[in-house]
Amino acid sequence: MDIEQRVRKVVARQLKVDEKEVKPESDFVRDLGAESIQSIELVACFEEEFDIEMDEQAALAVRTVGSAVEFIKKTIEESGGKTQ
Amino acid sequence: MSNSDSYGELTQKQIDVLERQGCSSQDWSQVKVADGFNPERVRNAQFLGCVRIGRFGGSIKLATGLERPTGIYNATIANCTIGDEVYISNIGVHIANYDIGHKACVENVGTMLTRPGATFGNGVKVAVLNEAGGREVVLFDGLSAQFAYLMCMHRYRPVLIEKLLEMATKEVKKAGSGTGKVGAGARICSTPEIVDVNVGPCAVIKAAASLVNGTVLSSTEAPSVIGSGVVVEDFIIAESASVTGSAHLKQVFVGQGCKVGSQFSAESSLFFSNCEAFNGEACSIFAGPYTVSHHKSTLLIACLFSFYNAGSGTNQSNHMYKLGPVHEGKLERGTKAGSFSYMMWPCRVGPFSVVLGKHTRIFDTSDFPFAHLEAGADGKCLMIPGLYLATAGTLRDAQKWPKRDRRKDSKKCDNISFDTFSPYTVGKMVRASSILSNLQDSTDRSVEEVSINGAQMKRVLLRTSQKFYRTAIEMYLLGKILARIEKVLDGGIEEVRKALAAEADGVFSRDWVDIGGQLMPKQRLHDLTNAIESGKVTDFAAFCGEVDKIYEGFEKDEWAWVKETYKEYFGRALESLTKDDLAEAAESYRTTRIRFLKQVLIDAEKDFGGLSRTGFGQDGSAEDLDEDFRQVRGLYDDNKFVKETRANIKAVEQRVAEFKERISAIS
Repeated sequence: MDIEQRVRKVVARQLKVDEKEVKPESDFVRDLGAESIQSIELVACFEEEFDIEMDEQAALAVRTVGSAVEFIKKTIEESGGKTQ
Repeated sequence: MSNSDSYGELTQKQIDVLERQGCSSQDWSQVKVADGFNPERVRNAQFLGCVRIGRFGGSIKLATGLERPTGIYNATIANCTIGDEVYISNIGVHIANYDIGHKACVENVGTMLTRPGATFGNGVKVAVLNEAGGREVVLFDGLSAQFAYLMCMHRYRPVLIEKLLEMATKEVKKAGSGTGKVGAGARICSTPEIVDVNVGPCAVIKAAASLVNGTVLSSTEAPSVIGSGVVVEDFIIAESASVTGSAHLKQVFVGQGCKVGSQFSAESSLFFSNCEAFNGEACSIFAGPYTVSHHKSTLLIACLFSFYNAGSGTNQSNHMYKLGPVHEGKLERGTKAGSFSYMMWPCRVGPFSVVLGKHTRIFDTSDFPFAHLEAGADGKCLMIPGLYLATAGTLRDAQKWPKRDRRKDSKKCDNISFDTFSPYTVGKMVRASSILSNLQDSTDRSVEEVSINGAQMKRVLLRTSQKFYRTAIEMYLLGKILARIEKVLDGGIEEVRKALAAEADGVFSRDWVDIGGQLMPKQRLHDLTNAIESGKVTDFAAFCGEVDKIYEGFEKDEWAWVKETYKEYFGRALESLTKDDLAEAAESYRTTRIRFLKQVLIDAEKDFGGLSRTGFGQDGSAEDLDEDFRQVRGLYDDNKFVKETRANIKAVEQRVAEFKERISAIS
């Protein structure tokens, strides 16, 4: 499974939405109904899923699913991991 | 009492004048007057028993702004000493057994009476926390939050309690008298009933309904105010406090700088410095400094607070319909309760936490400061430790408390430690991190939630909370080291080494305690309580002296803690740090502090974001929404707090750059 698929799965599970609704352009707050606590949980789930440590401040500034995928790819690369 | 040094008998001529003006006495020989007494200023007065009267010649400005000639008009005075330039007028029943200080004013009062054996609220036992009793605190003039805390909370040391009671009893005895006092310059008007009440200098009692068995402490620099419709019984109200707006209080202590009003009612409760209580209700609470409740439908019951803020409709239960109202809550400093939050005692909440929703399960999160505690649909507590560390609200509170210290009296009764980050809170973070780390290691990934002392926590957040705490721990430790070294950099490397060494008088305890708003190492508390138990500290003045010494030694003790904790946390002794290590530590401080402040800014920005704009631009267009928001709330970039925080970030950058430059240059 690639990063985008894994991100969509985590988002769907965590925000309790249908995976089909999770699109790259989906806004976490506006489209997927993420509240601030859920955003923190989402960051924690991404960290666990990809075994990375994300900068909380930068991670919480990410607005869309697509941006989250890019952010995670960048974090994995910076930590010396592989993105595929 | 009077400025007049001596009182002599009335002359016959003076008696004639007095009688002509409607005055009478059972026995004129019992009425003594000061030299220069002017009988023209006494009209329609009846004197009973032994009365001493000072000189009248000037005028006094009443609360209405009108000036009236001093003297006694339309009053029955029994066994009183009346000072110079006093104004007494329209006393419905009588003033009996009072010493009235010079320039005091008593007008339109019904009964003002001191009964034999009065103690003026001193000696009243207040059943705090456990409404059914067992933790009673004895009231006396000058009671401090620290003394009351020990008397209330340390019942597991019966010898200590016995000694504290002895100290309190000595203070109560000092207050006992068959004669009440109205201090110089006090103003009492339009109050039907004042019985067994001492009124301090410059106090203002205006249109209160009833004051029975109490003391209104007051001074020239810190006058207290009792306002309209107030009913108080069995009380002590301290300097610069105000009790107004038909508040009803029974068996209550109101500390220095407190504000109580807007029909607030309280029973069996203690409010220490700078508390604010309006509209709601309190029962059997220990409100440490800066406890605030402003809203209707709020019931605070059977709980320990300090630096607390109760949202509207905050409610608690201490009664589970078994053996009575015997359960207690402990909300540590800085806790906030959201609107209509409910908690069922017993519960304990760690410092600077936020409680939301209806909690119907018992939990203890005292090891987890700055936690988000939200009740689930089943009433269970869902916890996110450390979530409120980097929030605008926490930072703003820390800044505002010292600025809102309303205590004006030269003697401050309560010692207050304002620091948000201290060995007390940071020590808890260190412990919490260890607990969370162990849980993370021992919990399988298939587990969704873990249970910690009755609270539930999402397993996936175990690591996140450790991250929150790590930032704060490092920011605090490195910040303290930086601040200490900065002061001595000009003295060269030797001075830096000395600064990094232990303070001779500092006491290290891993655990710190919060004694009624004063933070101290646990060892200091043990030393204090041992000294009391062994008879080395035998009276309240000595007790205050001891806690003041601890308060003054805070920085030394804090340094001892920082030093030891740094060693444990970073695995290196401070003495072993080189110049390069210190420059690196400064850089780490810069990173963590700025990360923290930027998170605070992100939190503040939420108040300007899309959802915060909901409802703006009523009846207008999309453009009107933005303009309406800008007019009412302003721009994020223009916000005072945002500007200050940004300036703070710049200051940190500059400070660390300077530090690194200076330390690289020293030899």
